[in-house]
Amino acid sequence: MEIWQSLVGELTSINWGAWIRVAVLLVVGFVLATLAARSTTGFLRSRSSRHVTAMFRRVVFYAVFVIFIVAALREAGFAPDVLLGAAGILTVAIGFASQTSASNMISGLFLLVEKPFEIGNFIEVEGTIGEVIGIDMLSVKLRTADNLYVRIPNETIIKTRVINRSRFPIRRLDLTIGIAYRENVRRVEGLLLELARSNSHCLEEPRPFVQMTAFGPSSVDLQFSYWVPADKVLEGRSEMMEDIKATFDRENIEIPFPHTSVYAGSQSAPFQIELVSGKGAKQDVTHDEK
Amino acid sequence: MEQVQDDYGRWYHPYHLESGQTQKHELSETRFWVTLLDNEWQVRWERDSGETDWTEWRQSISHVLPVGEVKTHRFVRPDDGNQIIFMPALADRPTMIRPYQPLTIPAGRECTIYVATLVWLRILVGRTQTQLLEMPLAEPSLTWVGRSTMDGDLCYTAPTFARLVLDAVPKRPWRVITPVNIRNRRPEPLLLERFSLPTPLLPLYRNDRRQLWTPKVTVICETDIAEARLKVSSKMPVEAGECEMLAAPRTRSERGVLIKTLDRIFG
Repeated sequence: MEIWQSLVGELTSINWGAWIRVAVLLVVGFVLATLAARSTTGFLRSRSSRHVTAMFRRVVFYAVFVIFIVAALREAGFAPDVLLGAAGILTVAIGFASQTSASNMISGLFLLVEKPFEIGNFIEVEGTIGEVIGIDMLSVKLRTADNLYVRIPNETIIKTRVINRSRFPIRRLDLTIGIAYRENVRRVEGLLLELARSNSHCLEEPRPFVQMTAFGPSSVDLQFSYWVPADKVLEGRSEMMEDIKATFDRENIEIPFPHTSVYAGSQSAPFQIELVSGKGAKQDVTHDEK
Repeated sequence: MEQVQDDYGRWYHPYHLESGQTQKHELSETRFWVTLLDNEWQVRWERDSGETDWTEWRQSISHVLPVGEVKTHRFVRPDDGNQIIFMPALADRPTMIRPYQPLTIPAGRECTIYVATLVWLRILVGRTQTQLLEMPLAEPSLTWVGRSTMDGDLCYTAPTFARLVLDAVPKRPWRVITPVNIRNRRPEPLLLERFSLPTPLLPLYRNDRRQLWTPKVTVICETDIAEARLKVSSKMPVEAGECEMLAAPRTRSERGVLIKTLDRIFG
């Protein structure tokens, strides 16, 4: 009975009205912050890039929500100056305890300022190629071409080499083509440049070109370079390779497969072939005779 | 048995099909068929680049569908109207005019060249003239114009004879004629090798001879080629005759866009 009375006393001593106001402030703050963020997205979507839109959406959400959190804390009886002091001490403590997270957060800030890529760009990080779908506080999210979700910590991106494949509107494709030694290189060059002229993805300017790069072991190696719009890289490469194969077949130009010739020197005698008699050899012969 | 309804196709002319009928068109490198069914429109097309040498737009209406593998695009009928209209539109990117032989304009002189650029076809159907699709009437080639491969614009390319006499310009239903007046006010000659025509900024007109025209474009080159000024006339050229507007410019000539375009006039 005494316990029950003390419990009731404790419950009645709590200022329920203040806590309800705190809860209402937090809920209203969350709803208003979400609405403000959505409005920002709607306003910016047609006016700026996805990257800028996502960044502003997040800034607006946190700014509005933090205001309501501070108001709720004040309502709950916490003094902001005490909180700030505690936050300072906490920051140091948390900083030591979570160096990795802090490092990622600071790296994220550098990424936002430096802008080596934006949301929607195709980037390559440590062998992973994908479209940037999010640049967040701790990590960058990629969607690979085979639809995998890849999360890369911001710190890794700051430290490593990042290739942005869609930064510029046009790309140069370099195809390595091997032709037989007996072929006329000038004629092949003319055919390749004609293919570039007739391909709708291939740009007229900057001009396509062909250059010899090596006397390979089995072929004369040529580099065929041409420019395509950045969003037509796959089609530009695949269609051109198909056209090259079809043209070379039609014009009887040989694309040699790797040959290996064993040469013992001009002064040496021909290789001697010796039949080794033995159990295994006998068995083989027997098998052949059958 | 094909029933020829009209010798030549026409822009902005209402054709009426009955359910089950197909209208066949041949113009430029494109051959396309538009079919009306009870609840849908169908569009088929194919291209044969460089094999045709039509000079006119041939069309006929029949119940015959194309033979062979021609891809079909189906559209739900927006309303019960059976009317179809074909509208032209200028290119959605700037067009790089490249004379086969470069043209030199002496210091302090000017000239007017007549360039013909490719049009895009818009198919509008029904009483509400709902657009089914838009396509270029030949496969356009692309090129890059800009100071570097980092900074510039993708453009369509149009090799031209850069004719200085209007009568020498072939008038075909799928080409738009633009008179370009180039004024060289520099103390040295201007070699015209490439020239970027801002086609998205130009309106499209048709004259009483069914030819497509745009207003005259004036390019004034005073000092540096990169700082040439461009002006699109608000009136149609006298040589075009009586004209009616068929399509407004794709892009409004906002100051920023215009300056950017001007910056790259000569590649």
